[in-house]
Amino acid sequence: MPVFDFFHWNQQQGDTLTDSGPLIQVVVSMPAALEEFCTKKGYQIPAPIPGYALIDTGASATAVDEDILQQLSVVPIDLMPTATPSGDGKSFVYPAKITFPGLNLTDLAMGRVIGSKLKWQTIDNKEIIMLLGRDLLRYFLMIYNGPGSTLTLSY
Amino acid sequence: MALEQELEHFASIKADLLKNHAGKFALIKGTEFIGAFDNPQNAYQEGVNRFGRESFLIKRISEQEEVYRNLGLSLGLMNARL
Repeated sequence: MPVFDFFHWNQQQGDTLTDSGPLIQVVVSMPAALEEFCTKKGYQIPAPIPGYALIDTGASATAVDEDILQQLSVVPIDLMPTATPSGDGKSFVYPAKITFPGLNLTDLAMGRVIGSKLKWQTIDNKEIIMLLGRDLLRYFLMIYNGPGSTLTLSY
Repeated sequence: MALEQELEHFASIKADLLKNHAGKFALIKGTEFIGAFDNPQNAYQEGVNRFGRESFLIKRISEQEEVYRNLGLSLGLMNARL
């Protein structure tokens, strides 16, 4: 059972875990099935898009910035109801391929991620492009070490 | 709206789908039900094989529709500065 520590600290800001939240690097790509189809047809394959995923225990499922999914030429496959304290709505659902370089997890086929307008930058200029929700967290052991400014993940 | 026709068709055949394919994922293009699959990845593979980059619907066949719940995002808590 491999264990990975992510230290959230830098010289300028000190502890960044409190302000930015628990982050891990992520790369979002076109789903493998679509990539294979585009390759066969000679269509251009969009470059994978790197960024950071915020671990979000308040989210039932993983969400990815919708602009990024559209940049990857992925079209929605479903429309899902959303429930939040500010009201109900609907969001499109997309397939995606996800890699977590810091966890040695590559090319995860995500059958369903929520498209959402969520991109923003943390105080130490990390661009968040994904909320890692409980659909993925169910596979992990996680330790949020506030005093040590460290996130530990194991799977 | 994208997938409007497919969503309407899914609603119209949902009762039959629940009888025969509950728990699986339906693949629908236009007003055609293509099949039911054990997981969304297999449904997507079949959808791309048949329709390439065109849109198609993949929906879980269940009595109660899956709902995405997120408390922090809507409240803006993730950008909170105390």
